[in-house]
Amino acid sequence: MTAMLEISDLHVAVGDDDKPILKGLDLSIPAGEVHAIMGPNGSGKSTLSYALTGREGYAVSGGIKFDGTDISDMAPEDRAAKGLFLSFQYPVEIPGVPTLTFLKEALNAQRRTRGEDEMSAPDFIKYVRERAAKLNVSTDMLKRPVNVGFSGGEKKRIEILQALVLEPRFLILDETDSGLDIDALKVVSEGVNALRSPERGMLVITHYQRLLDHIAPDRVHVMADGRIVASGGPELARELEADGYDKYVRAA
Amino acid sequence: MTAHFKPNAAETALIDSLEGAGGWRAQLRDATRSCGFPTRRDEHWKWSDLRRAANDVTHAGTLHISGIDGSEIVPDDGAHVDLTTQATAGASAADVTLTVKAGRRITLVERHVADAGSLGNFHVKIDIEDGARLDRVIVMPDAGAGVFIASTDIVLGKGADICQTILDFGGKLNRCETHLTHPGDGASARLDGVYLLESGRHADHTSVVRHTGPGGTLSQLTKGAVMSGARGVFQGKIIVERAAQKTDARMTHRGLLLGDRAEIDAKPELEIYADDVQCAHGNALGAIDETALFYMRQRGIPELKARALLIESFLTEPLDGITDEALRGELMTLLRTRLGAIT
Repeated sequence: MTAMLEISDLHVAVGDDDKPILKGLDLSIPAGEVHAIMGPNGSGKSTLSYALTGREGYAVSGGIKFDGTDISDMAPEDRAAKGLFLSFQYPVEIPGVPTLTFLKEALNAQRRTRGEDEMSAPDFIKYVRERAAKLNVSTDMLKRPVNVGFSGGEKKRIEILQALVLEPRFLILDETDSGLDIDALKVVSEGVNALRSPERGMLVITHYQRLLDHIAPDRVHVMADGRIVASGGPELARELEADGYDKYVRAA
Repeated sequence: MTAHFKPNAAETALIDSLEGAGGWRAQLRDATRSCGFPTRRDEHWKWSDLRRAANDVTHAGTLHISGIDGSEIVPDDGAHVDLTTQATAGASAADVTLTVKAGRRITLVERHVADAGSLGNFHVKIDIEDGARLDRVIVMPDAGAGVFIASTDIVLGKGADICQTILDFGGKLNRCETHLTHPGDGASARLDGVYLLESGRHADHTSVVRHTGPGGTLSQLTKGAVMSGARGVFQGKIIVERAAQKTDARMTHRGLLLGDRAEIDAKPELEIYADDVQCAHGNALGAIDETALFYMRQRGIPELKARALLIESFLTEPLDGITDEALRGELMTLLRTRLGAIT
């Protein structure tokens, strides 16, 4: 049986000079599991999240299979419609586009791509309000342009709200804890945990163990110099917190 | 030197069609006779070479005007005037005079269409008397490959207001030229514009505002998006005379270049002779934010739709000044439809 996300011998080069960042990464995440990737700065964690979601400028070779389909040549919007969601480390501000409009465009675009009916405006408002309430996202925030003038914590709550609205099959959380105080971290983690289900997979990318106290991973992988260099259970995260990345960086 | 100037076919056609005309049309005729159409060698037309753009014009055309009675109009208070012009192939010119009587509030919506092979010149002289207000909307829909010059002289009275908004999809060469005399004295002016140009189109928004008395406010915001092979021009000049102390004038132009061969030329100018004023101008050109584009696509919004949304959100701000909700909605729809057609 193949895993939900199956990455094999992934190489990714970036920039005009095709600088290699990922150098033969293997990773397999079954549905229902939460895996964490930890690694020092510069190990290639964010590159992995962009390569998986199809950002331009990332030259990819090797295999990325999602639900058994090779998605490595698919457009970002098609990967999204298949259920791949990235919570950005730095959510992007989009002046002039109200958050609610953005959510509706995104949801209905995905539905159209999947051949499903669009959601009507009144149904949509109700649907979003229910989810916004769970994350303490006010109606006023929903009316404001996407992420414009939001604090770090507000931006991350909006990221998770988008996940609750779009109900992706697989979430990639890129440094979701950065910029969060402890209260915001709790709200965001509860949102993420509410999305855990046997049909859904998650990849949590983080530098620190702190987030993993709130979102307990099934497996932890250590990334260094563009590869997975160690894998283990949740205890591996605590070991890293105590001992640091030194031995893995040297080994890589 | 100018006595030896030899008009070309287009210039001759315009001069002949204005034989015996008076007022503004006589001035246009005489200026054309002595100097010809402006070219890129004229400082005020350096990015909009009219002589070159009109080189396929060989005969006289007609500038049809509809929606008004006569050429001197004095609308009632609360009137909504819909003025439409259409320039047929050939050279043509027409002018009207609009007076907004003291204390009245008028809405003027102009739509200008220039057929292929046309050179239309349309001039409006506007007098906004004390305490009056004019909301003016100018729409230049892209109907053909014509050349159209819409020029305006506006004189503001004491405590009068003008709010002007242009929506321009360009032509072979379009130019909206606004001259405003601002008395200060509790009067306020807002001059905004949007241009959206596909390949082969040219739009030029030029304004000169002269502050002659103290305490005037002016706000100008123009935003444009230009695709490869199109050209946008913004020239804005603010003159603050010595008597115009405490003038508060702001001018902003922002352009979005949507392709490698897109071109936007901008020249904001301040000429200030008073020493106690607040004047600022800003001009910025950029490209689509690729990070925002990826963010939207990652959420499932197809690339073309995402681009259109980003362009739309960039362009709409100048339309916010239109207080008539229905009119504003109509312009938004025009803009969206146009975006859908060209992106």
